[in-house]
Amino acid sequence: METILRSKEMAEITFLPIRHHSPACAWHVKQIIEKQRPSLILIEGPCNADSLIPVMTDEETRAPFAVYYSYRDRTGQLSERKGHYRCYYPFLDYSPELAALREGRRLGIETAFIDLPYGEILAATQEGKGLLQQREKPNYNDDYLLSRSTYLQRLSQKAGLRSFDEFWEKYFEVKGIREDSETWFSHLNEYCTLARADAPEEELIGEGCLAREAFMAAQILARAEKQQRKNGDGKDGDGCGGIVVVTGGFHTPALQTLVKEGKIRETGAAKIPGQDQEVYLMPYTMEAADALNGYASGMPYPGFYQKIWQGLTAGGQPYHDAVLDLIVSTGRAARKKSELLSTFDDICAMQMAEGLASLRRKPEPGAYELKDAVLSAFIKGECTLATDRPLRILQEQMRGQGMGKLGSGAALPPVVLDFEEQCRLLGIKFRSILETEVTLSLFSSEKHRRMSMFFHRTLFLHTSFARRVKGPNLQQKKDRNLIREIWKYKWSAQVSSALIDVSVYGGNIEEVSVTLVRQQLSRETDAQAGALLLTQVFEMGLESQMTPVYDRVCEVLQADTDFKSLTRALEYFMDMQRLQSLYKTALRLDVLTQICCQKLIMLLPSMTRIKEEDSAACMNTCKLLYQITGRECQELQEAYFEALSAMLLDRELHPGLDGCIHGILYGCGRQDAGEVERVCRGYLTGTYEQLLKTAHFFRGLFFTARDLVFIGDAFLRMLDSFLGSVDGESFMELLPELRMAFGYFTPGEIDRIAAQAAKLHGKSGRALQEGREVLPAWYAYGKALDQHVMADLEGGKDG
Amino acid sequence: METQKLIKPPVEVRYAEELEALRAHDQGKRPVNWQMSPEAVRTFILGARKPLEYNGKTYLIEKKYFGNDALVERCIVTLAGNRGLMLVGEPGTAKTMLSELLSAAISGCSTNTIQGTAGTTEDMIKYSWNYALLLAKGPVREALVPAPLYIGMEKGILTRFEEITRTPAEIQDSLISVLSDKVLNVPELEDGSFLFARPGFNVIGTANTRDKGVNEMSSALKRRFNFETVMPVREAALEKEIILKEVGALAAASQIEMEADEDVAELLASTYHELREGVSSYGHRIDRPAAVMSTAEAVSVYYQTMIAGYYYGGGQISVDTLVQNLVGAISKENKDDLEKVKAYFNTVIRDRSDKEGGVWKRYYEAKKWLK
Repeated sequence: METILRSKEMAEITFLPIRHHSPACAWHVKQIIEKQRPSLILIEGPCNADSLIPVMTDEETRAPFAVYYSYRDRTGQLSERKGHYRCYYPFLDYSPELAALREGRRLGIETAFIDLPYGEILAATQEGKGLLQQREKPNYNDDYLLSRSTYLQRLSQKAGLRSFDEFWEKYFEVKGIREDSETWFSHLNEYCTLARADAPEEELIGEGCLAREAFMAAQILARAEKQQRKNGDGKDGDGCGGIVVVTGGFHTPALQTLVKEGKIRETGAAKIPGQDQEVYLMPYTMEAADALNGYASGMPYPGFYQKIWQGLTAGGQPYHDAVLDLIVSTGRAARKKSELLSTFDDICAMQMAEGLASLRRKPEPGAYELKDAVLSAFIKGECTLATDRPLRILQEQMRGQGMGKLGSGAALPPVVLDFEEQCRLLGIKFRSILETEVTLSLFSSEKHRRMSMFFHRTLFLHTSFARRVKGPNLQQKKDRNLIREIWKYKWSAQVSSALIDVSVYGGNIEEVSVTLVRQQLSRETDAQAGALLLTQVFEMGLESQMTPVYDRVCEVLQADTDFKSLTRALEYFMDMQRLQSLYKTALRLDVLTQICCQKLIMLLPSMTRIKEEDSAACMNTCKLLYQITGRECQELQEAYFEALSAMLLDRELHPGLDGCIHGILYGCGRQDAGEVERVCRGYLTGTYEQLLKTAHFFRGLFFTARDLVFIGDAFLRMLDSFLGSVDGESFMELLPELRMAFGYFTPGEIDRIAAQAAKLHGKSGRALQEGREVLPAWYAYGKALDQHVMADLEGGKDG
Repeated sequence: METQKLIKPPVEVRYAEELEALRAHDQGKRPVNWQMSPEAVRTFILGARKPLEYNGKTYLIEKKYFGNDALVERCIVTLAGNRGLMLVGEPGTAKTMLSELLSAAISGCSTNTIQGTAGTTEDMIKYSWNYALLLAKGPVREALVPAPLYIGMEKGILTRFEEITRTPAEIQDSLISVLSDKVLNVPELEDGSFLFARPGFNVIGTANTRDKGVNEMSSALKRRFNFETVMPVREAALEKEIILKEVGALAAASQIEMEADEDVAELLASTYHELREGVSSYGHRIDRPAAVMSTAEAVSVYYQTMIAGYYYGGGQISVDTLVQNLVGAISKENKDDLEKVKAYFNTVIRDRSDKEGGVWKRYYEAKKWLK
């Protein structure tokens, strides 16, 4: 802790370096504020969130929650892409910043954030660095700055600790809560100076650190002077009520230097229009706050440290109590899941935790001793995926559960208000936390169609508000014959979190959906994904987006050369085309179908040498194309048949495809049965290897032209001679293929084939189903013989 | 005992002076009957950076067990508690070495050991009788021949039980009452038929995961132990270091005056490491052999190669001999293993020899011995 008293013109400034999520730190911040009673508390955090402070410290508000910052780059300040940006600043009960804010409210001290507004931070950051890194959930916390220094990593290793987090826990948490606040902060200050010492300047510039620090220093100086004037004006006057500055430890040393110098530097960051920046509070989950989830937001095990925080405020031995608590609750949870653990195991685990703590010279066992204790005492046998359940349970318990709650005064972004308005208009009981079911007659009621569109939009935004239980599913190509949709919906805090999360993309549900669709459009590169998106737009009824998505899908289609993806896209288009009139859209889906067909026909000749596992899909495509070119796209028919003929020229054509193509050509009258028979005979009379391929050929053939079997008996004879000429082992190998081939026939047809086959061998069909009769007398004789032998054997034993 | 005359002196003899120095400097609290405090045991096994002065000499305590430091700490704490310690893991992961180090440091004796085999009987674990004395004097303590478990309880020292899953289940179960009640009933003795364990007594068992299912431990016995799973070394660089260190020690013991070749150790370390992990440092996917690919195996292959070089190769280690020994070590259980190693040479080593040349090239050329 360092206190600066620069001159008479300035109030006394106390710098408190912090780590963003740390119970010990929050505890000491609280102590210092309590002791010093400053007149102003300045906290690191974008200053455009100042208006949220009253709600953050509201008694109704429960942590964890996060401040959500968003910036919509309408004017292209950051890049020509004119993108949307957002980041989170999560707060837990034991976040020192929150402790400072709450303490400020309790003691009636003014509090304020002093960092650059979010947009300005982005402007000062280089592409791909700091907050501009590509992350799922960008986090304002920059605790990583404290651990990435190589010097400090070596320090952890040298201290015999596994990671920076363990190092921190040992020296700053477990030992830290026993120190007085001044000592604790001076240790941390030392540590932070070291962390800062080998941070390269380019990195600091790239991540926008220097710009932020310049701004923060200027804020501190300005506030200090203002404060001093205020103090001077007050009657009790001189110097009472200093300023406490709570900032991330990494920045504190630099801020101290800047403030000591007293010069206000230019931040160098561009000015960003305020109206394009928004800040909201949103409920957050423990799960999202866990650093182990990859969001890199401070410390791991939030549930465990929450217990520590509660223990700290209650007094006693917080770590000891929390470890004992979690051992017991893990034991109980594991017993429920039928792990064989006894209370004695709990005792042993606690002993282990205590023993390890004393061996590692920690005054109390911490998170790492807890994990070691459970590993050692609860896992019986080798530690593998099958036996490590207690560890996984512990992990969950250490993460904690629960979601924050916002006070009633929390401002809501327009998209949430729009959501509520839409619900009201459509008669959806959006405040109900019990699941409500609603059945929609999609195609007969205009209102129901609108509700369906609304639900689809909430689905697209991942709000977890509604889920479709039943109904036509165009995306997965299921139940397309249904005309009603059944939806279930319920309200939860997650819904509002999810909506706030996307609020940067627009002011109402439709606008947000449109922006997200556009974003996806700029990314999607293959026909299948494009077609899927079009399907979604179709379901969401985003009329305004139909044309742009449509145009883009056209482009993607032209560029895509992947046979599978094009086939899938074609299937989507066919479905939509079929349902178009019901969904009442006037898109020219036939054009898309046509482009798709053209591309597929173009690609067909190159599909001759496909792998076995792709053959079924390819055969399907051939058949689908045949159907389409016969109906919707007759102008492509000639090209299609040319492609098929070209395929037949390939000597190494896949036998299944060979059969499939011949079946199609036969079916449309371009080939007679004799020609097909000739090809089939070619396989049959070829080498043994070729002979074995006949099974595949039959499969392809029956897929497209199974009626061939019933014309004369030529095919049946060939099948018969094929079965006669393969040996037992090969037959077993080919059996699955043959089963598939005959799978295309109806049971009645199979019966007919069997009867004809039997006739070839001089028997009637019925004869096949008859077994030889066993005369009752024979049976009786066998039974008697059996008994006699048994009696004889048993008698022999006795003898 | 003169160390020079033994092939492998027990740990307490090999490190006698180091242990003495540690004991002299030990300030920590000792559990009853322990030779040193848990902290000193940790230092003995995991090493210390500061040298110790003792009797005018300086001792630098070296790290003796490589791998997971937290595991060693858990082992020590377990032994100070009232449960046994069971080390499980793949063969060759230094379980036995760790158990020797622990018992030498804690009890000053690593030889109070039961070697588990299919033929182990209860009297090899508890006690048997000197029949001449039994006949002459009747069942008196004098006629009783204590076995390691009896000795451990009587003296308050650790008893090691090697390869516990090799012994039949009913024999394993004779440990249950001893571990839970810490008392051994000797019904034959007329006076005082109970042996109560003295503090300091505990059991360290080792079990091999390859033997799993041979004689699976009963859950009653499992409950009396804390289990520690010993994993193979996960870093190739550390494995190389271990090979060099161990081979150096072996060579010194056999008075072979030859420097271990670092390059060759690297070949071996990376071969063993990659075959065990199933993926090469370049990212090739490799078929894993069924044979045990432990660091201990790698050490023995290296040491054999070194001896061959010392006596027949004019003091030079030859890569050809290395590959020949590798074949011997790998084609033990399964014929396919050799094919897998061949495939490994034909992909990974080939690419590496192209990229790095030098010793890797010679290694690749030596693949002709893989047959």
